[in-house]
Amino acid sequence: MSATTFAWLALALPLLGCVVSALGYRAWPGRSVGWVATGALLASFACSVVTLFELLGEPAEERQLVSSLWNYAATTGLDAELSILVDPLSVLMLLVVTGVSSLIHLYSISYMTSDRGYARFFSYLNFFVFSMLLLVLAGNFLVLIIGWAFVGAASYLLISFWYRRRTATEAGIKAFVMNVVGDVGLVLGTFFIFQGTGTLDLLGTFEQVDGAFTENQAGLVAGTVLLLVGAFAKSAQVPLHTWLPDAMEGPTPVSALIHAATMVTAGVYLIARMHPLYEQAPAAGIVGAIIGCATLLIAATTALAQTDLKRVIAYSTMSQIGYMVMAVSAGAYVAGMFHLMTHAFFKALLFMAAGSVIAAMANMQDMDRMGGFRRAMPFTFGCFVVGGLALAGVPPFSGFFSKDEILAYTAERGGIFVVLVAIGYVVAFITAVYTFRVIFRTFLGEPVAEARELEQGHLHHADQPTNPATGEVEDTDVGFPGPDHHVAERAFPMKVAMGVLAVLAVVGGLVQIPGVTHLLDDFLEPTFADSEFYEALDPSPASEYIGLAVGAIVALAGIATAWLVWVRRPGTADAVRARLRPAYALFANRWWFDELIGALVVRPARWLGIFAQNIFERLFVNGTLVGGSTGVVRASSAAVRAVQSGFLRFYVAFFLAGMVGVVLWFLLSA
Amino acid sequence: MILAQAPSPPVEWAGISPLLALFGGAVVVLMGGLFPGRAVRERVVPGLALVTLLIALGCLIWQWDSEQDLLAGALRLDGLTLTLSVLFVVAGIATVGLAWRGFDRMESPEGEFYALVLTSIGGMVVLAAAQNFVALFLGFELLSIPLYVLCAIELRRKGSLESGLKYLVVGSVGSATLVYGLALVYGATGSTDFAAVARALTANAMNDDVLLLAGLALALVGFAFKASVAPFHQWTPDVYEGAPTPVTAFMATATKAAALGVTLRFLDVALFPAADDWAVPVAALALISIVVGNVGALGQSSLKRLLAYSSVAQAGYMLGGVVVGTSLGVQAIVFYLAVYLVMNLAAFAVVVARERETPLGDSMDALAGLGGSRPLLAWPMTISMLALAGFPLTAGFIGKFKLIEATVQGGWIFVGVAIVIGSMISLAYYLKVISVMWMRDAPAVEPAPAVKITPAGAPPPGGRPALAGGSPELDAEGRIDSGRRDPELVVLAVVFGAATLAAGIVPQPLLEWAAKAGEAFPGLF
Repeated sequence: MSATTFAWLALALPLLGCVVSALGYRAWPGRSVGWVATGALLASFACSVVTLFELLGEPAEERQLVSSLWNYAATTGLDAELSILVDPLSVLMLLVVTGVSSLIHLYSISYMTSDRGYARFFSYLNFFVFSMLLLVLAGNFLVLIIGWAFVGAASYLLISFWYRRRTATEAGIKAFVMNVVGDVGLVLGTFFIFQGTGTLDLLGTFEQVDGAFTENQAGLVAGTVLLLVGAFAKSAQVPLHTWLPDAMEGPTPVSALIHAATMVTAGVYLIARMHPLYEQAPAAGIVGAIIGCATLLIAATTALAQTDLKRVIAYSTMSQIGYMVMAVSAGAYVAGMFHLMTHAFFKALLFMAAGSVIAAMANMQDMDRMGGFRRAMPFTFGCFVVGGLALAGVPPFSGFFSKDEILAYTAERGGIFVVLVAIGYVVAFITAVYTFRVIFRTFLGEPVAEARELEQGHLHHADQPTNPATGEVEDTDVGFPGPDHHVAERAFPMKVAMGVLAVLAVVGGLVQIPGVTHLLDDFLEPTFADSEFYEALDPSPASEYIGLAVGAIVALAGIATAWLVWVRRPGTADAVRARLRPAYALFANRWWFDELIGALVVRPARWLGIFAQNIFERLFVNGTLVGGSTGVVRASSAAVRAVQSGFLRFYVAFFLAGMVGVVLWFLLSA
Repeated sequence: MILAQAPSPPVEWAGISPLLALFGGAVVVLMGGLFPGRAVRERVVPGLALVTLLIALGCLIWQWDSEQDLLAGALRLDGLTLTLSVLFVVAGIATVGLAWRGFDRMESPEGEFYALVLTSIGGMVVLAAAQNFVALFLGFELLSIPLYVLCAIELRRKGSLESGLKYLVVGSVGSATLVYGLALVYGATGSTDFAAVARALTANAMNDDVLLLAGLALALVGFAFKASVAPFHQWTPDVYEGAPTPVTAFMATATKAAALGVTLRFLDVALFPAADDWAVPVAALALISIVVGNVGALGQSSLKRLLAYSSVAQAGYMLGGVVVGTSLGVQAIVFYLAVYLVMNLAAFAVVVARERETPLGDSMDALAGLGGSRPLLAWPMTISMLALAGFPLTAGFIGKFKLIEATVQGGWIFVGVAIVIGSMISLAYYLKVISVMWMRDAPAVEPAPAVKITPAGAPPPGGRPALAGGSPELDAEGRIDSGRRDPELVVLAVVFGAATLAAGIVPQPLLEWAAKAGEAFPGLF
């Protein structure tokens, strides 16, 4: 039993869980299907841990294991093998994905209890984890593309999980279309790279890329930029980010799993995985870093002006992923992966806590109507504050170390990257402000009616279930949220999941304290050993500590500002809004990206579609192509059946005629 | 006196053991059929046939790695012989399963039926192993004559007799053409041995020899007839439709493999030096076959006729692998033959099952609503149809992929294009079968014979009168399904359907198996 065997097991278990929970959806009594799915994930996590230890048992230079299950299409010049690559990078992702997913499954057992689509939900969740692991473990571009597309499909299924809710299905379609744009980018990028290297195998590509392409050769830059398009779509980076806020229409565990901890980090993983390509095409790396920086600024400012609780966290996710994309594009791979890991902990925690609050509000997500939940839900409050401190980057919480490592390492590149880092520090301040804006507005202040009701020991239920976004009246049957909802204070599995994540959000940063610990650095070394930046980017402890100090001051200043604006002098926010009306309009309208994409892409595409349908399709395709070719086929079919008379004498005559024809051909052609 | 002096050739007993098993088994089965008693006829005789086939399979596996000339060079045991023989035996086993319990009790032809099947398989093995014209023709007739009888074995059914007679007459013309062609090639080259013919062709550079060309053309027509390649296919729909369905299944799969196998050997070994002469006509036959088979299958309402035309088209696809004359082509054909056998047997198992369960025979209506009522039959049929059309994740996709790859690599790109276009047309009729199964309800009213003999006014047997709350539709539906269930047919359908799927997902083992056939052609690259 080697490391790859356990990696295959970790990959197979969620698939098994998906099939088992789907096929038995009638047979599983009560909540058992949730426990089955969660058990599959926990077993998968256990296999991942064993994989880790098996891998650590190997000598450092042999920690890149490839295992091929079978060769799907052995044909000339194409090595489309179903293979996985087990190395420190993929094992790190494996651990993060299976670990966080297990906790989110556990949370969902309670959260989704009363939903009529309980088994379907867990089947989808398991399918998502399987797809994500396929993406992470892929040892071949073909498998990577399959996993990439599966993840998009799973995301679509889960966002539109309440499929009778119009806003949810529209959000699902939007997410799917944008993800397909990314899929196209990934596939085209793969073609460009394959054209140069002639192999689909990842390790083979990395070995040959230096020989096949010169530095910044056009083909390679095109290929890597197209890969970036794929990464941007999946990781919600500007301008392919507008699907992520809408994706909050899905159930809250989905937001925690897909839109915080796992799927949206796939782009970061892709860039880190393809680092030999980006080092051979530094131009593409700079593009990635600039887009990442733009995203982190745009998303953070947008988050300041949103009032929907989950959307604020969604924008914060985009912003944090902007940090990671900037880091891995700049060559600070370990820092980027480090932030990916800590972010998975604290962002999943924040979503879970938000889910608890939303449940207490009877599925209402508007922050304007929330307040004073501190006493009603002390556990949720505690978790939210821990997550918020980690997100804001307050020492010694996990986000503090990882974010500052990104900024310190990126600054080492010099040049334009110094500007990007400066923006990064500004955004760190904004991050602290909007995070604590949420905490202060939701948990402090005068308790709202729902909070008081909960303090009395009763959970608020709306008179009539409605869509929180549009106010449409709904029922609680399949395709809509169930009648009951659950809060962390009362549901034990939710409490456990959040507790574990809270601990991880506190201590997760300790693996990488500058000058003290470098566990992740050492662990990932075999993957990045061939990288030119891995060795070169090595900021001195002094500069790192200066960075840490600046980061801490910025975070605390941000929290203080938020406290001033929303607690100490509650009217300040309105005054600021009135003073800075244009800026507020920009942020509140999400920088008008939806409108921009609508005008530039959606509307021309619709016109084109109407033209194609009414004129091109009707006249040319249906009339000429289809009508013509089916006419030919029909006529020849009639001819074949006409000569099939059923008379033996005719058959023999036909046979002899054919024979004469063949003989004549032979004699005449020679 | 002269006979006594002629040295008898050495006999390689181990090498001919599969043949011995088949022919010996045929005699035993024939004798067994003479014993009185239903149990003997319905249990022992098919059992003996099955045992014979398993022994033959065992012998093939035993000889798997051997490569030798047999009986003074008349036959040869090599990769092609072995791989094709395995296909014949598997088709035989499936035929025994399909035919079991399918005979009219009045006729009781079990002994003859199974003996003839075994003899025919023996003929196929001889044909696949043949190394000279005499052995080739011997195998050809040994395979054909039992089939004529098998087609007509349901003596009381007119369709069966018509099928047998038509096959006999057209088949005789085909055999005559073949033997005439072989004689002319012998006349041109002075030898009946494949290798010697090839040597003579190389030595004398006789590409324009009229005798050779005429002989080649006639022999090609003979093979094309047997493989039901258009325009020599016209017997196929009629014979397939009239013959008992297990026999049709056997003809469609095993005969096709034997005919294409011997074509491969004849053209790529004996007449390979004259490849410039035959490649273009063979490609033309392939194109005609693809077009005629696919457009002919459109609009057929009989499943057996549909599968007959489909087999014409599939023969055209496989000829594409013959045209290129490369080792890749040989592997692609053998792989496709295996895949074709598996997916067709799944379809035929379903057709046989529905023939016995409903009075609708092999009409497409017999499949209506199968998806809801009999998923274990509907799924294999669906997989089989998708595979025949060449859907990804089924074995048919990989098979077509290899054929197209072989044609493109061999420089016959237009044949590859024709395969793709043919597959496109074929979706129209394959998907129709699937839509009938899943999207149409079982026919509600059916003039079943049982109704006609019921006296007027009396409720039909088994149904409740409408006044008592019984639904006439339900009753009619109950009558359509006779309630007969033969589990062995379901097992066969599921096994072959699953194999179709498995070989599409994990094609590597089957590809390696097919690669063994390529080893038999050392002259190809």
